[in-house]
Amino acid sequence: MVPDCGRILRVPAALLRISLATAMQYRSDFIFEGLTGVVRTGATVAALLLVYLHRQEVAGWTLPEALLVMAFFLVMSSVVQAFFEPNLGAVVEQIRQGTLDLLLMKPADAQLLVSASRMAPARLWDALAGIGLGAWCLWHLPTRPGADDVLVALALFACGMVAMYGLWILAICTSFKFVRVDNLRFLLMSVSDAGRWPLAIFSGWVRVLLVIVVPVGVVTSFPAMALRGAWTVHLVLAAAGAALLFAVGSRLAWKRSLASYTSASS
Amino acid sequence: MTHLFRALPTLFRVGFADVVAYRAEMAIWVLTATMPLIMLALWNAVAAQGPVAGFGQVEMARYFAATLVVRQLTGAWILWQLNYLIRTGGLSPLLLRPLNPLTYEAVSMVVAMHFRMVILAPLVGALLWWRPELWKAPGWAAFGLFFVSVALAWLLSFLIQALFAMLAFWLDQSMGLFGVWFAAWGLLSGYFAPTAVFPAAWKPILEWLPFRGMLAVPVELLGGFLSARDALPQIGIQLGWTLTLAALAAFTWRRGLRRYGAYGA
Repeated sequence: MVPDCGRILRVPAALLRISLATAMQYRSDFIFEGLTGVVRTGATVAALLLVYLHRQEVAGWTLPEALLVMAFFLVMSSVVQAFFEPNLGAVVEQIRQGTLDLLLMKPADAQLLVSASRMAPARLWDALAGIGLGAWCLWHLPTRPGADDVLVALALFACGMVAMYGLWILAICTSFKFVRVDNLRFLLMSVSDAGRWPLAIFSGWVRVLLVIVVPVGVVTSFPAMALRGAWTVHLVLAAAGAALLFAVGSRLAWKRSLASYTSASS
Repeated sequence: MTHLFRALPTLFRVGFADVVAYRAEMAIWVLTATMPLIMLALWNAVAAQGPVAGFGQVEMARYFAATLVVRQLTGAWILWQLNYLIRTGGLSPLLLRPLNPLTYEAVSMVVAMHFRMVILAPLVGALLWWRPELWKAPGWAAFGLFFVSVALAWLLSFLIQALFAMLAFWLDQSMGLFGVWFAAWGLLSGYFAPTAVFPAAWKPILEWLPFRGMLAVPVELLGGFLSARDALPQIGIQLGWTLTLAALAAFTWRRGLRRYGAYGA
């Protein structure tokens, strides 16, 4: 069966509209979330400023360059918290209550429905903060990146996000087996925190882990390296490889867990 | 007071059974505290070019290892628990018990701490076996004061969280407000970096704020960065904040309960 492409886009778009409408019912929450986001971003940036009080550069990265990694991190974590994280919580709840059966009966791909069933658009404020920070950094980089560097950076970021999506689907798959994994999302979020800093500060084997096990390095450090003009063909291939690995791996794992799923009601 | 002491053994048993029932969940919670390791990676790279504010690579590793331990020993989650109870009305049946729900929760968290230590001990043991230079005996007086200080730090986190949770009697967004507090705490308590690396002008302010008392004071005692003599005034500040917040929490609790009753729960 050839999947209908229009439908693949229409389904998440409709679900996003519902989430937005829900968020807009709680307008003060939405604004409040933005204000707290500013404070949170401020604290994480301040932690990095403390480092650069003492040093001109760390592991070869100057302040604007390191902040660029932080900017990509903010965009990534805000997208994860807005779109990936709420869904893991939703699936765990649905499996426990048996309501996942209703979702599986709908005439659309179940993975598509599961990965867009609940969203928290208020979390996207952090992405705005990240984009602002990134713009400031681009302005202050020692050498202005060329158009090709920017394109490669965007492509690397996209690859990284695909890999992160795969990681969260894999986490959802574990909930079919272990049910009570609500806090697995806190574990994933806290491990992802390692993406705040350039990969260069980590020792060799941790660097590898941050590319192929928890691919945050691909989302945050790789694009920043591209914007410094330091991208290579190897870097692009590594990012594409990670994206492919996680996309295919998570799809296979999803199919398997769905096949072995025996609902709470039966 | 006497009936609290009579109830304690049973509360301990119940709390421990609860922790053991959800042991996998508890183990994951212990593993989520990776932030000290991530901060260590950053500061380790900084210290590679020479010591910062007296912290070389070994001192950095020792500082953040101590942070990891203290963070586990001072873990509290009364914010989420109490907030949930207030919003869902689950607090009502608990109020009928002859024991204050806050005391009950406090005991169950102290019990869970023992379980956390069971998970943590082999990790710390392995770390010290791998890098024995990280252990620097803090001296008996400092070691004794560490226990006092870590108990006060736990009480401080518990009281602060309880206060933020009690805001749910009046506000909808108490969790968001705690997010703001938590961001400030990360920066000012010594969680993201030893407070020694702050500009000199900040030091007196940092010492008087409650944040250091929630983490940095016990961490520095355990890591041998703070002598027993220098620690005493700081433990005094911890005690002062604890008493102030306890009084505030007791007052807010009474006012909040009146408000809670007011909407017919």
